[in-house]
Amino acid sequence: MGYIESYLALSAILFVLGLYTVSTRRNAVAILMGVELILNAANINFIAFSKFVTHSLDGHVVTIFVVMLAAAEAAVALAIVLNMYNNTGHINVDEANSLKQ
Amino acid sequence: MNLSQIVQDLGFLTPEILLTGLILLAIIYDLFLTKETSIRTGYLAIAGMAIVLFSLFAQNVEASQGLFNQMVAYDGYARYFKIIITLATILVMWMSFQNDELKNRTIGEYYQLMLVLVFGMFFLVSATNMLSIYLSLEIVSIMSYLLAGYLKENLRSNESAIKYVVFGGVSSGIMLYGISLIYGLTGSLNIYEIQASLAANAAISPALLMLAFVLVFVGFGYKIAAVPFHFWTPDVYEGAPATITAFLSVAPKAAGFAVLLRFLNTTLTLSGDPNNIALESLSNLDWPTLLAGVSAITMTVGNVVALQQTNIKRMLAYSSIAHAGYMLMGVVVMHHNGVSAILYYAGIYTLMNLGAFFVAIYIKNAFNTETISDYTGLGYKAPMIGIAMAVFMFSLTGLPPTGGFVAKFYLFRGLVGVGDTFIWLAIVGLINGVVSLYYYLRVLYFMYFKEMNFPDVYHRAPLQFNILIVIIIIPLLFGWMIGDPLSTWTASATSFFVP
Amino acid sequence: MLEHYGTALALGIVGFLLMYAAFIIQKLVGPKNSTDVKLDTYECGEEPEGETWIQFNVRFYVIALIFIIFDIEVVFLFPWAVVFKDLGFLTFIEVFVFISILVVGLAYVWKKGDLQWVKMKLKYGTGRYSASNLLEKENLKEAA
Repeated sequence: MGYIESYLALSAILFVLGLYTVSTRRNAVAILMGVELILNAANINFIAFSKFVTHSLDGHVVTIFVVMLAAAEAAVALAIVLNMYNNTGHINVDEANSLKQ
Repeated sequence: MNLSQIVQDLGFLTPEILLTGLILLAIIYDLFLTKETSIRTGYLAIAGMAIVLFSLFAQNVEASQGLFNQMVAYDGYARYFKIIITLATILVMWMSFQNDELKNRTIGEYYQLMLVLVFGMFFLVSATNMLSIYLSLEIVSIMSYLLAGYLKENLRSNESAIKYVVFGGVSSGIMLYGISLIYGLTGSLNIYEIQASLAANAAISPALLMLAFVLVFVGFGYKIAAVPFHFWTPDVYEGAPATITAFLSVAPKAAGFAVLLRFLNTTLTLSGDPNNIALESLSNLDWPTLLAGVSAITMTVGNVVALQQTNIKRMLAYSSIAHAGYMLMGVVVMHHNGVSAILYYAGIYTLMNLGAFFVAIYIKNAFNTETISDYTGLGYKAPMIGIAMAVFMFSLTGLPPTGGFVAKFYLFRGLVGVGDTFIWLAIVGLINGVVSLYYYLRVLYFMYFKEMNFPDVYHRAPLQFNILIVIIIIPLLFGWMIGDPLSTWTASATSFFVP
Repeated sequence: MLEHYGTALALGIVGFLLMYAAFIIQKLVGPKNSTDVKLDTYECGEEPEGETWIQFNVRFYVIALIFIIFDIEVVFLFPWAVVFKDLGFLTFIEVFVFISILVVGLAYVWKKGDLQWVKMKLKYGTGRYSASNLLEKENLKEAA
């Protein structure tokens, strides 16, 4: 299991998939899934670098914190989405345009 | 790094520890309150913030320190921004008591979330490790999402929160990816070690380094609302509760600038010591030119779009984008003068922008309008409000008798002082200043010249609001005349921690 | 390095072929006498009812959100627990502070009634759990 390239490639693919999801979906929950993909792509990078490049625990620590942050962010975001659903009956981001002039 | 060192470092964190205690106390206290009495949490919060302010002033920052294995720094630079943030928080909390949008609802959480936001900003301005930068940035962001959507049943507030959360989540994710690339390139998360590694290995490919830097800048740029990442600003500012808009436009922006400046002037310079008078960027990464471009585009877009706005909150939102552009001018000069100019500008900008928003909030409460063209004759109907708005608009434009002029003067002096490289940016800045004159003075035009009807009954603002406005106006108008204490203060606040 | 990928590729191809071989053989040899009951969705022997895309109670989300937030704390406790013996009592106090902060959060959730499994009623909005919608439903029931 000695190839850092494969991990980096995996994370790059995840990152691009995440960006693609974020930019093409209109459902707020789907966008949040895309954000999770991006965050986890970075996590894979951190773990891979800390195993192959720095041989230290820094990357692992970052990953733990990011997992926690992702959960917190998802909780807040889903609460906001739920509230939007209660108000409007849908969760499509592109229909939320009452603020445009 | 042993445990006794950690306990010892805790001694330098008095304001943060007090703040943590205050947050917990506010949460517990609020559990025993009803909807009608929940405003008491706000009184507790404002009193607690005053204590935090005193503990900040009591700090002795002569000897700067790196705390917790250089996760955060203890220095004059961080303390200056913490004081600004604390002052802004106290002013906004005070105004929140008078904001009609927040009346007749459970309000305890509003102040609790604001305190946590302040906690995040305290760590953001002193962070010296990519992990602590990212963590505190996220604390600030997540609390901002919640506060923007605080008016639960209000569709616009809801919408602003959801836009904020989508943009914020994506840009922070991209920033994290950039951080991971930097970690891989340099093998460290500590900004001083990153600098040492970058300066030692000229072999790192400039393209890769540029990519990592740009990805990281997405996160910072989103926080300070620089142009390619500014899309959320007007919608969030318009939809969020007005006091929160005022808060978001000053405090997190100042904190974002603080961390951006520390990061750039430490990590991406040749010497790695931001205390040097003049700095040089890394040979394989020309970020000053890139940021100069961002600065020019930011101020131009902010000002040009602000011209067409009819809603005062949207207008101020675009104007705050433009001001981020001005402040970026101080970043690109890489000179001691630029840093102190940014510190000065951040202080003055906090006062004048908060003041402008507070007057707008008051007008919304008293006359129920946010549209600029509805301000007709307000200057005669409510003379205090008119004069206050005039001072803030003059100051935001940067016209002479106000602090805004002095702040802008320092920025331009810093930019021109380093030679001919960025003369073009100074010219763009000057042209933008002229453009901004139009839309700032348009507000005053409607207030004073549109309709000259002298009313029989004058509108009198409540004493509480008048005191608040006077507290903001006096330093803004007369601060620089009486020895300019802020400028001596900023000169001493440019001491960074360096290991 | 390349030959490793070759092995993986061969494995992938063989796996793919085997999977389709199973399908094709099944199609060729298997008897075909389907009835309505056989084609139905399997729901543990019960007769399926209603659509698959139903909206379920929003309380599930709220409980799940609360769960995930308190669940994550274990991630931080685990590394500490592993090395606790070497670190001594001081770290115990640190973790105690950490947990007490979370307990404040739990107290908040408890007091606000979010641990209760009651139906959500909102005073605003037009969504499923808004007061206006619930009132409408009640009126419909009464009319029937």
